Amino acid sequence: MATRARFENSAEVGVFSRLTNSYALVAVSGSENFYTIFQEELQNTIPICRTNIAGTKIIGRLTAGNRKGLLVPTITTDQELQHLRNSLPDTVKIMRIEERLSALGNVIAANDHVALIHPDLDRETEEIIADVLGVEVFRQTVSDNVLVGTYCSLSNRGALVSPKTPIQDQDELSSLLQVPVVAGSVNRGSDVIGGGMVVNDWCAVVGSDTTATELSVIEKVFQVQTGAGPQDIGKEMRDTVVESFY
Amino acid sequence: MKTTWKDIPPVPTHQEFIDIVLSRTQRRLPTQIRAGFKINRIRAFYTRKVKFTQETFSEKLGAILESFPRLEDIHPFHKDLMNTLYDADHFKIALGQLSTAKHQIEAISRDYVRLLKYGQSLFQCKNLKKAALGRMATITKRLKDPLLYLDQVRQHLGRLPSIDPNTRTLLICGYPNVGKSSFLKSVTRADVDVQPYAFTTKSLFVGHFDYRYLRFQAIDTPGILDHPLEEMNTIEMQSITAIAHLRSAILYFMDLSEQCGYSVQAQIKLFQEIKPLFSNKLVFLVINKIDVTRPEDLDPETQAQVQTLLQSDGVEMLQLSCTTQEGVQEVKNAACDRLMSERVNQKLKSGTTSGNAVGGRLEGIMRRIHVAMPIDGKVLVPHIPESVKNMKKFEKDDPNRPKNAREIEEENGGAGVYNIDIRKDYILKNPDWKYDKMVEIFDGKNVADYLDPDIAAKMDALEEEELRLEAEGFYNSEDDEDIDSEEEADILAKAEIIKEKHAIIRAEARSRKSLKNRAIIPRKFQKKPVSKLENALDEMGVDTESLALRGRSAVRDARGRSVTRSRLGTEDAGDTMDVDQTPLERLRSKSRARSQPMTNRLVDGVRNTELRDKAERHAKVMQRKMNRMARQGEADRHTSSALPKHLFSGKRGMGKTQRR
Repeated sequence: MATRARFENSAEVGVFSRLTNSYALVAVSGSENFYTIFQEELQNTIPICRTNIAGTKIIGRLTAGNRKGLLVPTITTDQELQHLRNSLPDTVKIMRIEERLSALGNVIAANDHVALIHPDLDRETEEIIADVLGVEVFRQTVSDNVLVGTYCSLSNRGALVSPKTPIQDQDELSSLLQVPVVAGSVNRGSDVIGGGMVVNDWCAVVGSDTTATELSVIEKVFQVQTGAGPQDIGKEMRDTVVESFY
Repeated sequence: MKTTWKDIPPVPTHQEFIDIVLSRTQRRLPTQIRAGFKINRIRAFYTRKVKFTQETFSEKLGAILESFPRLEDIHPFHKDLMNTLYDADHFKIALGQLSTAKHQIEAISRDYVRLLKYGQSLFQCKNLKKAALGRMATITKRLKDPLLYLDQVRQHLGRLPSIDPNTRTLLICGYPNVGKSSFLKSVTRADVDVQPYAFTTKSLFVGHFDYRYLRFQAIDTPGILDHPLEEMNTIEMQSITAIAHLRSAILYFMDLSEQCGYSVQAQIKLFQEIKPLFSNKLVFLVINKIDVTRPEDLDPETQAQVQTLLQSDGVEMLQLSCTTQEGVQEVKNAACDRLMSERVNQKLKSGTTSGNAVGGRLEGIMRRIHVAMPIDGKVLVPHIPESVKNMKKFEKDDPNRPKNAREIEEENGGAGVYNIDIRKDYILKNPDWKYDKMVEIFDGKNVADYLDPDIAAKMDALEEEELRLEAEGFYNSEDDEDIDSEEEADILAKAEIIKEKHAIIRAEARSRKSLKNRAIIPRKFQKKPVSKLENALDEMGVDTESLALRGRSAVRDARGRSVTRSRLGTEDAGDTMDVDQTPLERLRSKSRARSQPMTNRLVDGVRNTELRDKAERHAKVMQRKMNRMARQGEADRHTSSALPKHLFSGKRGMGKTQRR
């Protein structure tokens, strides 16, 4: 089930949170509204951790992770690292990476099996990603954009990429990721998919500006709604998509 | 595209119009003019009046003309609707009259400005201005009817529903009283009036609903009767306009039960009649009131007639009952589905070139509806924990659900007051460790390493000492000056005594009342007896004998003759010559000179005769005025009465007071 949410009057929920199959990170905020949405969605199935990274709230853009691990940038303080270590289960490996591109969420898009990374990332970092997250790593671009984490959103069941991605690129990505890939938007036409939503294998949280059509596309791609699959987008959703975007 | 005209400003009546313009001229322009001004100035004054009035008229009329929609510029649907409602000719004529009036007023202004150039006097110029403004007002008066009409049009336009001619639309039409409004009411939230009589709906009504994540508009039209187009009234014509112009799915409602008061035949005939309007549109024949009569219940002949309607291309029959709500959603869905696929096909067709190449905006859409599946069909296994599979969905009203974070926050004072416990959810081997004190690292160093363990104790000790010192008066600054030596103390004591004495002397001097009324003589002019000096000197041990002698000799010559007769020679001296007179007699027998003052006041204070002459002359000059005014002296300020009463009262006879 996909839910709409706002973080402190911003619809870019992917900036302020990270959601994986074994844990969720939520930025520390003045009120509990945003945390509560995750709590209601996840209900103690996985730990939800309130944290800052390097004293900032933009944890979704600074961290990358999946079920097996979490990567935090070098600017993370020792206290924050310790807090994360205490809050997440021991099965999750946490690693602080010495990497020049410190917004790891923007340069890494990962599910539990595959990770797409920025082509300029260090060789060393690439190895760490493969080890910590336990994934195959591909240096890739999404719609000619090097910030793969910003312009796509990944789970084990599907991927949503920026609406500018050509069909050939979508096919290529799909064969690389082994999941269905669909081009779409969030937050009323925004192409920063990674910034506008977070998703795991059974639930998704999207920005509150997301339209009904966008939301239904997201639900179908990531199969977070029972009985709906990505193939519906080409069939049932087709007319709606054409009508709403043409 | 503009679909509503709610923002047209009110149109004033002709009288208000004139008032507005003339009062504006009066308020905005100078009003002071005099016949004595230069003629150029007078002409300029009145020319300005005329021109300004014309400009105001033109501006106001122009604003009205601008604010109304131009029928050529709006969508044909709205154009026809306005034609039906307000009569396009009438509308155009009204606007035309306004425009003509504007031109006439401009012409008048030009003429009179020209005439004003030849105005010879204030009066002439003023009359020219008056004539110009009068003619402008007359022209405005002639606009009475168009202005009234336009205001009514404005009010009506503002109340028209916002109909978008290009969006997804279901159009409901049919005979009066067949249940069109009931259908609109059941599928949308529009608050339409449903009544069991014909022509309840007299204008177009719009309702909106969502279907497949999209917003649809449903338009309820007034009922149409079966007669030629020319005979149709305004109410029916609105329906016709909507049917003719809107890109929509048309739901032609029929009532087979004939409860509406019109026969099935009449309804079939109407369908045939307006069929030409249905070209290029989706048409549905909707049978309403199936709770009363279904098509199957009709006699075969009528059934056949109904079936003939379906033979024309694409007409589909649907059935529903608004009373039982049977089939309502099905009708709606069927209509919407077909409308959508129709529109999508059209769009796809228009975006594709003849060579089947997709270009422009459509390409972007094609990307969105393309689903890229992995080639080999192998799909990753999702990892969903067991707990998720038997997770209960969050129910807000579930009484047994645990409190969520927001509720806890509210209970503890709300956002900004409540502080989250960040360690509560730590996953540790032993839950007791959660609140253990942890090493704090700063810049790679343990903060604890730089801490003195006794710092608190030391601080306490310091604070205690401080308190003690304060209590002991350590910091009091009064007696901190110590006396150094006896000597200094002595000096200070003496100074104290001197100070006291000074004060006493001063007080005595002040309190001395013996002075009575006498003048205070400065000390240096006060006479002191020599004895006093001698006493004082004697006290100090100074020899004073010579002093007294010197003083006496110095004084002697300065003295004038004594005022009293000298007693000299009054005493008998032993060795004096023997005379027969007594001393007194002797004294009296001697003549004696007049006593003289010690100084001559006439010459005293002036250096020489020259100065003395000058002083005398000056004294005379100063005396002059006093003499003239018959003053007794310098201090005489007496004012005698200017008009002595006894000289100025009493009856007057002949002549003036002054000429007596």
